Amino acid sequence: MTPALPAIIYPVALPLMGAFLLPIAARSLPELAGALGRVVVLVSMAVSAMLASSVWSSGPAVSAMGGFAAPLGIVFYADRLAMLFVLALHAGVFLFWPRGRGENAGAFTLMLTLLGGGSGLALSGDLFNIFVFYEIAAVASYGLAASGGGRAGYAAAIRFLILGSLGSTLALVGIALVYGATGTLNLADLARLAPRMLNNPLGLSAFLLLLIGFGVKAELTPVNTWAPEVYGAAPARVAALLAGVVSKLAIVVILRFLVLAFPMPAARAALLVTGILGVIAGELAAWRAPNLNQAFSYSSIAQLGMVAMAFSISGPAGIAAGVALALHHAVVKPAFFMLADRWRAPLESLKGAAKDSPLAAGLFVLLSLSIIGIPPLPGFWAKFLFLKAAMASSWSLVWFAAAVMLAATVVEAAWLLRAISAFYASAPQSAPRPPRPGMEHLGPALALGALLLAAMIFTAPLGASINALADEAGGAQAIAARVLDKGE
Amino acid sequence: MMTGLILHASAIGLLLTGIYAIAARRHLMRNILGLAVLESGANLLLVAIGYRQGGHAPILVAGQTPGPMVDPIPQALVLTAIVIGFGVLALALALVVRVKENYGTLDNREVAERLRAESREARS
Repeated sequence: MTPALPAIIYPVALPLMGAFLLPIAARSLPELAGALGRVVVLVSMAVSAMLASSVWSSGPAVSAMGGFAAPLGIVFYADRLAMLFVLALHAGVFLFWPRGRGENAGAFTLMLTLLGGGSGLALSGDLFNIFVFYEIAAVASYGLAASGGGRAGYAAAIRFLILGSLGSTLALVGIALVYGATGTLNLADLARLAPRMLNNPLGLSAFLLLLIGFGVKAELTPVNTWAPEVYGAAPARVAALLAGVVSKLAIVVILRFLVLAFPMPAARAALLVTGILGVIAGELAAWRAPNLNQAFSYSSIAQLGMVAMAFSISGPAGIAAGVALALHHAVVKPAFFMLADRWRAPLESLKGAAKDSPLAAGLFVLLSLSIIGIPPLPGFWAKFLFLKAAMASSWSLVWFAAAVMLAATVVEAAWLLRAISAFYASAPQSAPRPPRPGMEHLGPALALGALLLAAMIFTAPLGASINALADEAGGAQAIAARVLDKGE
Repeated sequence: MMTGLILHASAIGLLLTGIYAIAARRHLMRNILGLAVLESGANLLLVAIGYRQGGHAPILVAGQTPGPMVDPIPQALVLTAIVIGFGVLALALALVVRVKENYGTLDNREVAERLRAESREARS
């Protein structure tokens, strides 16, 4: 252990430090507050990118805080999976950075706090630290949910807070049960102890408590009632960030628990069942939703249900499919939320929207085709990976899940095409013209659309990379050896 | 043995009381008080897990005869959890004030219904 701070803590430390210093800086330099926050995000992103490239070329990095070795000390563990989502979170925070200057310093602080907490969530190798970072990210997102200034934001935020705190307290009870059974909180240590000590009803109840707790952020059924309320009331960029990236971090943490600490069929079955319920409930609710914003909120529940279904398939194929689905959704859904921000009216009054805003409508069509799964768009490959993993599995419940996903795709296509045909319908002469998405909406949406097309071109290397990532993240005993034996 | 049993039983009682107050009550203040009770339950459970019969505080003092000590890790966790709980509670109370000012009610179900109605309305 070198006395200098290891690079691995900067994606957590820089944003948190920025979050504390920004309100002070905003007092003396109100014009620069927003730019300063962006600089912090960029510096942290650059450090993360360096760390990620070293992880990609020379394997995962382990760092024990303060020089206390695991399992006694607290470790940070950076592998490809963690770094991928750390980078995605940085990109999301940068893209959806709030406008304004010093008067908006509160929102900047919350964004940086969310960034620090979320990065810590992905990097931490310790159960209790994960809980702390989860709470940091959660409190920041309660604040962001209310940051729109409207009264609906306050109501949505308090209901989100009550459900979220109920969940995280139950997760804390789960952590207490794990500690009581094994005497350790280190995930790598748990990977060695779990087959003997957690493969029992106590271990399963601990997993269920953690699933409820982290499932709140991951929009898992039934603890996702907050999602449509918050996404409807919060600013579109907050909805985009929470649905796009933050929810993925929570489900990646659930995957870590499943792989490292709870390698038992009953735990996988629990995750699979909540995923199936999420897909069914989410798509049906999206089909009946009163407007596009609500439809996308519900469909995000369904998409995360698909990720949960994929992660519940044992082995690297399931992880790869889940990561592909999660990444695809992280690109597509924020763009949808941005496009739909001005199109919140019922569909009938959106007739002819394509004539006034052809670019936005065209992008909407592209994103819809990808999320439905039309080849060669990336959404097709993500769903294809899932179906392939499901068919290779010998578990009949997974086959049912695959059938549910195909049926859900039909429902999803139905309501998306309904919206598209409204956009391209000719508007009655007397009707008022539908509002147009502004540049602040189109900019991030176009950036994400470009990313989607780039992913389509680089499908093959991307797929190979995701497979390598899944192999690495799925090897519980290899992770344990890396952290406990080689870790300084 | 007896102390451990009482600690565990009280923790479970607090947890159940908290869940009841959050899930079955409609008043937002009661929900928030339920959260506080729930958190106490989780904290007490952690302390109970670290408890050792006849254990000392886990601090070595000069001239002390070695003996059983209570586990310090759950105590460190509880300390952190209390601070987090305090912060969340303060935020919750601040939001409750805003909800009362804007909606004139603290009935969770009524707030939810009006929220749903508002999200249906077209917003410019």
